[in-house]
Amino acid sequence: MNFKQAFKIAAKSIAAKKGRSALTMLGIIIGLAAVIALVSFAQGQNKWINDYYASLGDNTINISASTWDGRDISEKLYSYCQKMDEYILGVTPNYRCWGDINVKYGAKTLSTYNSDWDAQPQVTLGNQQFTLCLNYELEKGRGLSYLDIKNLNQVCVLGSKLAKNLFNYADPVGETITINGTPLTVVGVYKECDPQNFNNKDNVLLLPYTLKRLFSDQVDTGSFVAKARDANSVTMAISLVNGYLPGLVGQTGWGYAESPNTWQDQSNEQNRMQQMFLGGIAAISLLVGGIGIMNIMLVTVTERTREIGIRKAIGAERKSIIAQFLIEACLICGLGGIIGIAIGYLATAILCKLVLGFIVWPSVTVTMGAFAFSVAMGIIFGLYPAVKASGLQPVEALRAE
Amino acid sequence: MLIDVKDLFKIYNEGKENEVRALDGITLQIDRGEFVAIIGASGSGKSTLMNVLGLLDIPTYGYYHLDGTDVTTLTDKQQAHMRNRQIGFIFQGYNLIPDLSAAENVELPLIYQGLSLDEREIRVEEALNRVGMFDRSDHKPAEMSGGQQQRVAIARAIATHPPIIMADEPTGALDSKTGRHVLKILHNLHQDGSTVILITHDNSIAATAERIVRISDGKIILDGTREEAGL
Repeated sequence: MNFKQAFKIAAKSIAAKKGRSALTMLGIIIGLAAVIALVSFAQGQNKWINDYYASLGDNTINISASTWDGRDISEKLYSYCQKMDEYILGVTPNYRCWGDINVKYGAKTLSTYNSDWDAQPQVTLGNQQFTLCLNYELEKGRGLSYLDIKNLNQVCVLGSKLAKNLFNYADPVGETITINGTPLTVVGVYKECDPQNFNNKDNVLLLPYTLKRLFSDQVDTGSFVAKARDANSVTMAISLVNGYLPGLVGQTGWGYAESPNTWQDQSNEQNRMQQMFLGGIAAISLLVGGIGIMNIMLVTVTERTREIGIRKAIGAERKSIIAQFLIEACLICGLGGIIGIAIGYLATAILCKLVLGFIVWPSVTVTMGAFAFSVAMGIIFGLYPAVKASGLQPVEALRAE
Repeated sequence: MLIDVKDLFKIYNEGKENEVRALDGITLQIDRGEFVAIIGASGSGKSTLMNVLGLLDIPTYGYYHLDGTDVTTLTDKQQAHMRNRQIGFIFQGYNLIPDLSAAENVELPLIYQGLSLDEREIRVEEALNRVGMFDRSDHKPAEMSGGQQQRVAIARAIATHPPIIMADEPTGALDSKTGRHVLKILHNLHQDGSTVILITHDNSIAATAERIVRISDGKIILDGTREEAGL
């Protein structure tokens, strides 16, 4: 009795019992497909929410402080923030300039007072880490450099919408614009990053923060944006700053540090619960599938015991009977498992594409885990009658009713 | 001597109050080429005797040599081998595998024997032709009458060309005409050299055998020709 013969007998047996084979496979298919699709969908949802927050500015910390007795605390706060480099990748001043500001290039003028809101230049003072901290990306040229800050270079970087409004389709890099008469050389242009215009981010006009003397009292100092290394660092950095601020501003000022991560944490918690819920449903469907397999296998024990008796009576060895049942179970479960995985992946693709707009493929761990579980169920219960009955005397197995 | 049995016992619940001696010291020799009918009332132990002779069951005690081999000491694998090569079984309830076709049922013992596909095809055709069932090769047992199923079962029993055919009430579930047909097949096999052991409670069927062994309460009470048995 070799493997080929056992395989042949098993294949014949499966083909002969199409109904039972199909029902067994169905249990595996449904269980596997449900687990794969539900778990992947939950993961997809998680990713969707994370992407949303990442687009808002992942691990960004907004820090602001001010006094009403005229003390300038921004230098101290800035140097304090710079010392937190264990937790942050960078920190930049984020000083907004108010008042009547006219930005000119050639014959074109954009004014903070006269232009429409979505064409108003947002004159902002920052440092070489502004690009990083506020999640900008460069389209052309370069961002601010350390030397620009140090040497008070009269340079600027433009947001995409501002660049378009001033230069139309011409290349702004290397051109000179004026702000209230002061000439500045454009060194770079940012990519569009706020198409919905939530924050007017694409109208930014970034200058080295050391040029704030140009705008005298029209600058809101005391605002900083830091980029934390990771989500845990956000919490650490915020608590450090919040511990430092009261001593800095005293009774005559205010200050705070906060992060969009705080909202993200709440939504993560919600998401985690939803994932557990969906995972629970998936686990139940896997279990029900497994019970279905068990049921079908066990109701056929009597029939199979007789069959084993017949096979023994006509000369089958114990090991060839066990081999036959093992191969049968492996074939049915393996085939059912592959179909189940295929349907699970298909359902995942359809569900994710329709609901989320992108596809998250099921993780290998989930797929293999669910596959192993249902195959193990199938093999254990498929092998059970063979192990039980093949050890009997043929006459006892034949007596099974 | 093909079958040599001495002081064979099959005892259930030995030593307990409900002890049953299904075989109570059977001594029996059957030679090659004999046609032996084992008869007795139901519960007399004749089926147990056939099960033990056919290696479907193990005796509690006793001496049993089959074709010179002491089968009581054989391993499970060797017993399976013996059942496959030496003995062809025919049961009252046919015992065909319901999901397999007639040809596939007949083919099974040949697969266990390890024959190649070509050889198996030849043997299956030969065996089914022998019982006149070749035209029903593709039928499942449920699509055949009792007599047809029994003929397929006979084909399965003879497919490996075993020297011994053991039939346990082969006509018990059949009407008399079909039963005679089945009996005729057994006699043909005997004429071709097979040793046939036929178990029955029906005297008219037993009367076609040359040698009659009558069993009662697990003991042989008569062993002789049909005239000696008074049939």
